[in-house]
Amino acid sequence: MTNEAVVMKNVSKTFKVLNRHEGLKGSIKDLFSRDYNTVEAVSDVSLTVSKGEIIGYLGPNGAGKSTTIKMMTGVLEPTTGEIMVNGLVPFKDRTRNSENIGVVFGQRSQLWWNLPLVESFKLLRDIYLVPQKDYEEMLELYDSLVDLEPILHKPVRQMSLGQRTLSDILAAFLHNPGIVFLDEPTIGLDVSMKAKIRELILGLNKVKNTTVILTTHDMGDVDALCKRIVIIDKGRKIYDNDIDHLKSYFGSYRTLRMRLGDDSWIEQVIDEKTTDVMNVIQETQKKHKIKDIELQEISTEEVIRKIYEGGEA
Amino acid sequence: MKSLRRLTALTKAGVVESLQFRLGTFVTLFANLIYLALVYFLWKAIYASSGTDVVNGMTFYDTMIYLILATAIFNFLEMFIVWDMSRAIQSGEIIMHLLKPMRYRKYMFWSYSGSLVMSFILTFIPTFLVVVIVTKGAVPVGWNLLAFVLSLLLALVINYNIEMLVAPICLYTESTWGINIVKETIVLLLSGASIPLAFFPETFRKIVEFLPFRAVYDIPLTVLLKKNGTDSFDGLINAIVIQLIWCVVLTICGNLFWNHAVKKITVNGG
Repeated sequence: MTNEAVVMKNVSKTFKVLNRHEGLKGSIKDLFSRDYNTVEAVSDVSLTVSKGEIIGYLGPNGAGKSTTIKMMTGVLEPTTGEIMVNGLVPFKDRTRNSENIGVVFGQRSQLWWNLPLVESFKLLRDIYLVPQKDYEEMLELYDSLVDLEPILHKPVRQMSLGQRTLSDILAAFLHNPGIVFLDEPTIGLDVSMKAKIRELILGLNKVKNTTVILTTHDMGDVDALCKRIVIIDKGRKIYDNDIDHLKSYFGSYRTLRMRLGDDSWIEQVIDEKTTDVMNVIQETQKKHKIKDIELQEISTEEVIRKIYEGGEA
Repeated sequence: MKSLRRLTALTKAGVVESLQFRLGTFVTLFANLIYLALVYFLWKAIYASSGTDVVNGMTFYDTMIYLILATAIFNFLEMFIVWDMSRAIQSGEIIMHLLKPMRYRKYMFWSYSGSLVMSFILTFIPTFLVVVIVTKGAVPVGWNLLAFVLSLLLALVINYNIEMLVAPICLYTESTWGINIVKETIVLLLSGASIPLAFFPETFRKIVEFLPFRAVYDIPLTVLLKKNGTDSFDGLINAIVIQLIWCVVLTICGNLFWNHAVKKITVNGG
């Protein structure tokens, strides 16, 4: 077996969308219209993910993240390009590919709504043909990572969103798949639940060496989990590197905060390659009295925001 | 048997899940009583106005037994697949089903099987027993029961395939309600579930003979009631073979159509 969990080569995906017209007249026209627009959701993305890696797959809303994940899971067929997941072509071998992947789609659940969680687990054990011994070991592992007791015998429909997401993540890992796709797993969760879920993902990744591909809008997730991030915008890959490199993506940014004579703070984002921090302080000092100075590292969130807003680098 | 473990697990889960909605069973039984009262008075009026005891070879008694059992089979076979699938497609939930390590049509069939077992036990068997006891011997009880169970299983597969052939149409039309009504009406009328096939005009009945709907209601019922020559061994084999052929034909058609329809999802994202 190779060391690559996912290999994507020049993958593009276009959708045909009917050009809708306005109003009643337009709607009637649409009935017979052959006027299609092609929308390129993903264009020419190449990506290699090694086994055991956790990568953050980021991008603004509508950038093509979910489309990429759906192609990797085999529910969408790429228009052009090649995808290999665990050595299989996902859309051709969807059923076999499913045996070795786990999926959590944000606000969707694969659990049986009316059954206690443990029944869903047993059902998944049988559907994925997990040997009883492995299943028990997995439950022991879960028990050591999270507090299973309050959720195990609770019907899924009575769970809080946090408990349900936690359960869904556990369910996705249950058959010990090579890759788990997490599409916005922490959406809508409170701070402590987010922390629990991050710990769980990290723990499972460590023990089982599972590859995790994570999309999220929460930079806390990225900081806590990912060493490497990939950013796509308008379907194109615009960044693929370590999280540490990201901070110097637009240059070495830092935030300079100064407290003036009237106790108000002013903030300035400074690129240390082009501007000298000391110069800025001196310039300010000519006009105002400075009481206090703080120099902050730029947060991942700010860099990402700059990338999303700035588009091309 | 690897796959047997999957199938029984799905059936079991379906049984447990439908046990959570016990109340629904009683509502169904109550609704049936109202419907059967309607059927009773309607056909009583028909027989009264005809002036003879036997219409198209069936007495009032025969007709009632036929229709009551047809209703019981209807409750047993009702699966709402058209609704479920269109809802799953609109909400995107279908992705979770497509990502199971089993073929979609197989996975869905066995997901439904548990609730079928429950509705068989909770609605069909009680209705059947009441009919047998009340009519005191009008329903033959013997080896025909065994043949009936086999015939009913085949009817179940045929009905599932009809539903699975109709359901993906909503991928093309984006509307479900109309399609479901059309399907329901066609199946109930042409299968003999609402009017015994014996009452159909000769040419119409000939056409219906060559359609699969008859295999869902009329064949199991005639096998059970030993009508239409199914009391002889040859007649029985003949009826079962017709069902088997429809099973195979519809399974193949369903598979082909589904493979085409699923492309709508995988190519254009639903």
